[in-house]
Amino acid sequence: MRKVAIFAAIAVLAVCLMPAMAPAAPKEIKIGVIYPLTGPAAAAGRELRAGAELAAKIANSAMDGIDMTMAKNAGIKSLGGAKLKLIFKDHQGNPQLGADLAKKLILDEKVVGILGCYYSSVTKTVSAVCERYGVPMINGTSTSPTLTKRGFKWFWRTTPHDKWFTKDLFELLVGLTKGKVKGVKAVPKAEIQKLAAACEKTEWGSNVSIEIKNFAKEYGFDLVANILYAAKSPDLSSEVQSMIAAKPGAMLFASYTSDALLMIKTLKSMKAKPKLIWGQDAGFDKPEFIALGDDIDGILTRSVFLPSVVKIKPLAGQVNKLYVKKMGHDLDGASARAFTGLQAWVYVLEKAGSTKPKAIQAAANTISIPGKQLVVPWFGIKFATKGDEIGQNVLGSGLIGQYQKKGDKMTLQVVYPFDMATDDMIFPFKGY
Amino acid sequence: MEAVKNAFDFADMPKSELTIAGLGMAFLLLFPVLPHSSFAMATMIQFLMFSLYGMGWNLIGGYGGQVDLGKAQYVGIGAYTTAVMMIRWDVPFWISTPIGLALAVGWSFIIGYPLFRLKGHYFAIATIATSLVLKDLFEVWDFVGGARGLELPLKGDFPNWLYLQFREDYYYFYILLGLFVLGLLVVNGFRHSRLGYQLRAIKDNEDVAKSLGIDAHWSKIKAYALATAYVAVVGSFHACYNFNIEPEDIMSLDLSVLIAMMAMLGGAGSMWGPIIGASILVPMKSYLGDWLGGQAGLAGLDLLLYGGIIMFIAAAQPRGVYGIVEAVRARRRK
Amino acid sequence: MEDLGIQVLKSVVSGLLMGLVFALVALGLTVIFGVMDIVNFAHGEFLMIGMYTTLLTSPLLGIDPVLTLPLAGLVGAALGVLSYYGLIRFLLRGPMIAQLFGTFGLMLFLRNLALLTMGSEPRILHKGWLVGKSFIVGPGVVLESTKLAAAVLSIVSFALVWWLINRTKVGRALTATSLDAEGARYMGISTQKMNALAWAVGGASVAIAGGLLVNFWPVEPGVGLLFTMIAFATVALGGFGSVRGAFVAGVLIGLIVNIPPIWDAMLRMIDAAGLADLQIHSFKYTMVYAIYFLIMVIKPQGLFGWKQ
Repeated sequence: MRKVAIFAAIAVLAVCLMPAMAPAAPKEIKIGVIYPLTGPAAAAGRELRAGAELAAKIANSAMDGIDMTMAKNAGIKSLGGAKLKLIFKDHQGNPQLGADLAKKLILDEKVVGILGCYYSSVTKTVSAVCERYGVPMINGTSTSPTLTKRGFKWFWRTTPHDKWFTKDLFELLVGLTKGKVKGVKAVPKAEIQKLAAACEKTEWGSNVSIEIKNFAKEYGFDLVANILYAAKSPDLSSEVQSMIAAKPGAMLFASYTSDALLMIKTLKSMKAKPKLIWGQDAGFDKPEFIALGDDIDGILTRSVFLPSVVKIKPLAGQVNKLYVKKMGHDLDGASARAFTGLQAWVYVLEKAGSTKPKAIQAAANTISIPGKQLVVPWFGIKFATKGDEIGQNVLGSGLIGQYQKKGDKMTLQVVYPFDMATDDMIFPFKGY
Repeated sequence: MEAVKNAFDFADMPKSELTIAGLGMAFLLLFPVLPHSSFAMATMIQFLMFSLYGMGWNLIGGYGGQVDLGKAQYVGIGAYTTAVMMIRWDVPFWISTPIGLALAVGWSFIIGYPLFRLKGHYFAIATIATSLVLKDLFEVWDFVGGARGLELPLKGDFPNWLYLQFREDYYYFYILLGLFVLGLLVVNGFRHSRLGYQLRAIKDNEDVAKSLGIDAHWSKIKAYALATAYVAVVGSFHACYNFNIEPEDIMSLDLSVLIAMMAMLGGAGSMWGPIIGASILVPMKSYLGDWLGGQAGLAGLDLLLYGGIIMFIAAAQPRGVYGIVEAVRARRRK
Repeated sequence: MEDLGIQVLKSVVSGLLMGLVFALVALGLTVIFGVMDIVNFAHGEFLMIGMYTTLLTSPLLGIDPVLTLPLAGLVGAALGVLSYYGLIRFLLRGPMIAQLFGTFGLMLFLRNLALLTMGSEPRILHKGWLVGKSFIVGPGVVLESTKLAAAVLSIVSFALVWWLINRTKVGRALTATSLDAEGARYMGISTQKMNALAWAVGGASVAIAGGLLVNFWPVEPGVGLLFTMIAFATVALGGFGSVRGAFVAGVLIGLIVNIPPIWDAMLRMIDAAGLADLQIHSFKYTMVYAIYFLIMVIKPQGLFGWKQ
């Protein structure tokens, strides 16, 4: 009996001493964040940075009124309340510079991991550096399908990619013909049978162009024009002429910001009258685009976050309020995904309970974050560990929103997925 | 034999220059051993790459006075040859690079022949045009990945000498340093060669050169091909070092201009010019960008200063930094 | 067949409009080159500054964007003169490379100055007489009001510059300077003043073009580059320094970039689906450069060039 008592006492003592004996947990966890803070995508970079900063702030301090675990804790609980420190670097849209900065972060700053990089081309080179050094990288905003086709062991992506988004579009088109869309009666398929697409011709747009072509075939639509154009072009009238001449029911675009503006202006000047216009996020989801006002009433854009999500997701509203306080405008697709990317880092670190790469790798491969923890309307975050898309979040989903003018204000209403629709869809597009 | 002797003949260089060059060389050799940040190492590699690009450009642009703003097309040919051959047929770097070089030089002869019928600004704009045409073709050519570019697969087993894949940057650094020394020797040999003298004669006065029996057109094409060789080899290296190439990235006008700027800023037509230019421009660009670029509200300030400095040097001394050195030296001699 | 005919008509109209716009942008470049053999890399940045001038001053003064054009011209002329006395004057001593890079530095400087002060977001004009208006003339042929205005301005300014150079005393002095600066100096012509005048005229013309174009085009700090390359090709194709050449070359380039819709209409007519993968649209500027290269090889001084 005495022996047992002594053993028990020792065991209790040991348990009590355990945390003290374990190596002191770091007070600060450095995460390197690489975004285009200057250069052509500086506007997006500003939003991305603010999104990641807001997530770090919520993780680092205990906050009331936000229903996510990360807000309840101050710092990473399993690491003794260690705080996240974000080190921002600017890749200016240059893949070579991105790779150099990644080395700097890994070797000089000794970061635990990397978040970034928005541009798929930069994410490519940066993730190759991370893979060589065995440093974990989470990507929240690059949508090139090829990124998770490489079988990398140190790369995880939270956002759905362009293939999913393009598929969403075709589901919507089919839904239109079947009367599934809120507020629209079944449309005869002949009306939207012909599609015309114009995509900018760098890495991103040319990938989208291929996806559109494949899905059009799969879903039985005719792609009557599939144009690649230079985003840095002084004139888009020949592209628009060709699209109009093909008499399509729907016009599909993958454009950056200024070419999206020029495209809409050219469409308007040539009095285009398609039944539907859809844009693949990017340029179609920027404040400058929204400033076009009446000209975009009824245009569709895919996104992963629209301010009207707030109606169906209270958590998104809580975070959005903080974001508006910080930036003066709503979260958008870029900032919401940057927020979610850093959030994934927080949960992975919490689960790993260590800053060792191996532990983080194991945690990332087994993590499962439920959808109700997220601001984006996904089913959750869970990364594929086998198959042909290793590291891809399999629980993500996209949205398609429609610009609708309500009074004086331009709003974005969800029209897809059908069960999340926040308003009736305007169909057909009124034309210019 | 004569050529090899020429390459090692530094007798016409002032002592002071050779001393500085020796010290610089020693520094480069020892750099990886000295304490340094990885960013400094990455910048150093960029410096060596741009020195080599600049040395190549200098052969035709500096010694020959033909302003070539289309060198990026040959970077592309070199890089794509290496990448395509490695991805499709597992060809090692050491075999694909000479092939890329041969393809680039072959292409330079084909377009060099009509190009050198043009002079001055017409030539400069035409080199831009040819480079852009090639870039546009690569952007829609599916065999080389189109605008999406190519990504080189990681072969594993670091260090992998066959495919030039290393984890640590100092391997890349020493390989480049080897190329750098080789490049310098070739330039030195070129200076003393027949072609070198012919080219300088053409630069001074083409009509006089022609009257002396120099085939100006053919001399320029030969120098252009030699310049291309430099650029193509570094292009192949770039593909391996960066693991990823895209037309927008390696065949753009920006790169062509940057290459020419190295030589111009340091002093076109002098052996040390491109190296001086690269040693100023490359660190300035990466460190200015790193300090100022990440800060909100200062976007553009780094390139604004960069542009200001370029303007200043171009206005103050048309022959670049080396021109300033020479001017100072000339004054002291008086 | 009818489709094809209409498409040709549409393309020609749209090509003429765009071509005149290209010519208008290139006018200043060719004037400057004609007088002092210098290619201005920062030309597109002058255009950008003209665009911002109109964009910012129109709401500030409460007048229509079109009415701010004289102001844009003034800003452009001042900038031209400033560039000349502050930089170009010194560059003229050096070889051609130094000139190219000096103006390249000026380009970086101006572009990033705009980035620093204006931000990188593209901006557009929302209100104005020319904004968002277009006229349908004939079957599917549309005239966009800004492009139409720019085309008219293009013709007027080319006529004006031609008259200035060929029919006035100042013009003869300019020509004398460009032919033989040394000789002109002996004749009592102040070459400094003549050069500055060329920069003033060049800067003003391109800034006015910018002020007009901003009625249709979005403006951002990098917008100049889009037009600079085309302007280079225009000036070189026409022959450096030839005003008439720039006009013809601009229109030619405008027509070339509007070939793809004709090609597409042709494919539709003969129903050749396989050829649709050719992506002719992404080659439209490639065609410009390729044709430039071919013409230069045949005629090394450009279409109307007289200078080497």
